[in-house]
Amino acid sequence: MDVQGLQMTQTTPTPGVFKRNPPIAGEAEAIEAAKNGDAEAFSKLYALHKRRVYTLCLRMLGNVSEAEDMTQEAFLHLFRKIGSFRGESAFSTWLHRLTVNLVLMHLRKKGLNLVSLEETINPSEDDAPKRDFGSRDLQLTGSVDRVALERAVASLPPGYRMVFVLHDVEGFEHNEIATMLECSTGNSKSQLHKARLKLRELLRQPEPSAPADGLREVAV
Amino acid sequence: MTANFPDFDTMTPADFEKYLPDFFANGDGHVSTDPRLQTFLKNNPDCAALVRDLEAIADQARSLFEPVEPSDSVWSGIVDKMNQSSEDDELPLPAAT
Repeated sequence: MDVQGLQMTQTTPTPGVFKRNPPIAGEAEAIEAAKNGDAEAFSKLYALHKRRVYTLCLRMLGNVSEAEDMTQEAFLHLFRKIGSFRGESAFSTWLHRLTVNLVLMHLRKKGLNLVSLEETINPSEDDAPKRDFGSRDLQLTGSVDRVALERAVASLPPGYRMVFVLHDVEGFEHNEIATMLECSTGNSKSQLHKARLKLRELLRQPEPSAPADGLREVAV
Repeated sequence: MTANFPDFDTMTPADFEKYLPDFFANGDGHVSTDPRLQTFLKNNPDCAALVRDLEAIADQARSLFEPVEPSDSVWSGIVDKMNQSSEDDELPLPAAT
């Protein structure tokens, strides 16, 4: 996938993302100033969007170090390409897509072939969710602890985590995910379902007894 | 595209499992409130429990949207690399505000 080409395409704003990204006071002025090389304006854009970009990277990659590297890459890419932002979608949406595409490219470089999702990012049998409709005594109690869920998401196989984060956390629709990951809509639905099943399985396991500080690094 | 669902009244748990991703993808993502499935879920408590769990996971996932602050080293790294690539126009970059 040509990341640069995709990320510069002005797409229809994503409803799920757009709802969470109302216009920010002073952002439009900062964008225009940054296009003209205003360093202060660029630092303002960083301050406005760093949490959003970093959190996205963290959720998708499940690793603090990689997420920080990808956040750097995203803003360096923004620095180089902001002149091509034409304002046809919300800046936050555009930056969000740019970041997603960079993360996907990064994962491909690492050997995660997202082109053939079904064959290549399906986890091994050990990672796949178990089919255990029964065992009601182990069911979740209708509520899920946020920290436990964060930990479980971080431990998902990359393919499952990607679709789960894009759909359930970031609010993308299956057709949008299918476009981004170059797979079918049905494949996206299937991967999401498997991801949720795997999370259910992980959340039903006993809490590990490792010290909290030791877990913090992976609890993303 | 709408999946070709089985008869909701005669559906087996295996059928339900097969079509569950589509049940979630259609409508508002809450299978437990789908009127077509009420009888089936009432008669199949294990399936109902699975649905409850998966819905709880999806609902809680939205809370993961809470943003996380990156470390200061991220901005430092950006400034370093930008200055390296901008040596020609000598663009100094301030601290993030």
